[in-house]
Amino acid sequence: MSTAGLVKCVVWDLDNTLLRGTYLESLPDRPPADPGLASVAAELGRRGIVHAIATRNPPEAAEYAAQATGCVFVAAECGWGRKSEALARIAAGLDISVDTLAFVDDDPYERAEVGAALPGVRVLSPEDAAEAVGWPEFSPADVTEEARHRAGLYRQRHRRQQAEQAFAGTHEDFLRACQTEVTIAAAGPADVPRLHELSERTSQFNSAGHGLPAESLRALLGAPDTDVMTVRLRDRFADDGLVGGCVINRQDREWTVPLLMMSCRAIGRGVIDSLLTWLSGRAAGHGAAAVQVPCPVSERSVPLRLALARAGFRAAADQAASPGRPVSGRIVFRSDLGAPRPALPDWVTVPGEA
Amino acid sequence: MTGPGPGAQAGVGDVAGELRRLLAATTGRPELAATTLDTALFGGGVGLDSLTGTLLLRQVRQRFGVDVAAEDLNLDALATLGTLSAFVCDRVVSDQIVSDRSVNGGA
Repeated sequence: MSTAGLVKCVVWDLDNTLLRGTYLESLPDRPPADPGLASVAAELGRRGIVHAIATRNPPEAAEYAAQATGCVFVAAECGWGRKSEALARIAAGLDISVDTLAFVDDDPYERAEVGAALPGVRVLSPEDAAEAVGWPEFSPADVTEEARHRAGLYRQRHRRQQAEQAFAGTHEDFLRACQTEVTIAAAGPADVPRLHELSERTSQFNSAGHGLPAESLRALLGAPDTDVMTVRLRDRFADDGLVGGCVINRQDREWTVPLLMMSCRAIGRGVIDSLLTWLSGRAAGHGAAAVQVPCPVSERSVPLRLALARAGFRAAADQAASPGRPVSGRIVFRSDLGAPRPALPDWVTVPGEA
Repeated sequence: MTGPGPGAQAGVGDVAGELRRLLAATTGRPELAATTLDTALFGGGVGLDSLTGTLLLRQVRQRFGVDVAAEDLNLDALATLGTLSAFVCDRVVSDQIVSDRSVNGGA
């Protein structure tokens, strides 16, 4: 599917790529920014794509590049190791898949090394990058308010991570100390563009495994026995806005969730656990006996499966794997509502529900 | 279940030692090199979250060739360091038996 390949982050080389010249060889002068690529980076930033640096230079070079290009860089890897490893660290730090990275470098050796080690990365020469603004993988269909603030949100996330490292209590205490607020509410027409964007951008936390067109979402808003829900997240560091959602089919006593999704940015902040707890509680309150979430079984869906397992969802026994016979494809994870459920944390609010 | 084949040398203890090293490296917390076998990997124990849990499983696959996520749908193997060690050790041993047999069968 065409939209599955959207790039979330461009990792730039500096020498003879984003900078016109070689940083160390130009000292004490410093090479100017490449104006063409700097404007490409600025345009991609307006589309919600963030930027990072992988350079064989000291860290000062990254600071200088931010100044010279006017770009915000959400991560900088400065060193002499393999660039493929630098890209893997950047993706891990941002909680995004390496397959959502693009890499721009003038050196064919570096491009070949990254291309061989990480085949999912879009590897570009500076000449390619100059045209990237016209390519579909750099052109998300909807650019939402959340997208425009994405680079700032990644930086606030970094500050939050540093605060947590310095925090002595449990993770739950930390979320409380951050004044975390999760709000679960029914979606309205104004939420459709962001829900659509989320459905396309989410890869690790997307139970459908694909995007949902805006028209389909709009049609679901008024459909019988169907709920489309939004999840918003904020704390004292940042207002992340709409970070998750789900579609619920209320059929008889079995509720099915064809789409459950969350932005990777919200990982580790209690959002997916809150949503699953709320979902089970609401289904039980309406007299349902079970909630089912079909979910692809792949390496990419592991974070979502970890969340489902924590929330008490189990794969049906007949779908279990055995040694040497791994399961792939889609599996239905099911929560029987007879068992006691954890209470919704006090930082979760659901307008319209007692 | 037959006993370990002639090529099987990794015991649960060796696997657990290697997993401790991976845990410490994945989380950047050197104190996890002292994790006991009955320590829960999620929640109050090691406190893995979805991200660090995923990174650990990736390391396990690279180090041992065991794809826990593909073989254990409900990820029960991640309950404690002991359950994960046993799961990995079991798969490593059974893989070696299978490959020993295929070698013998082809001779």
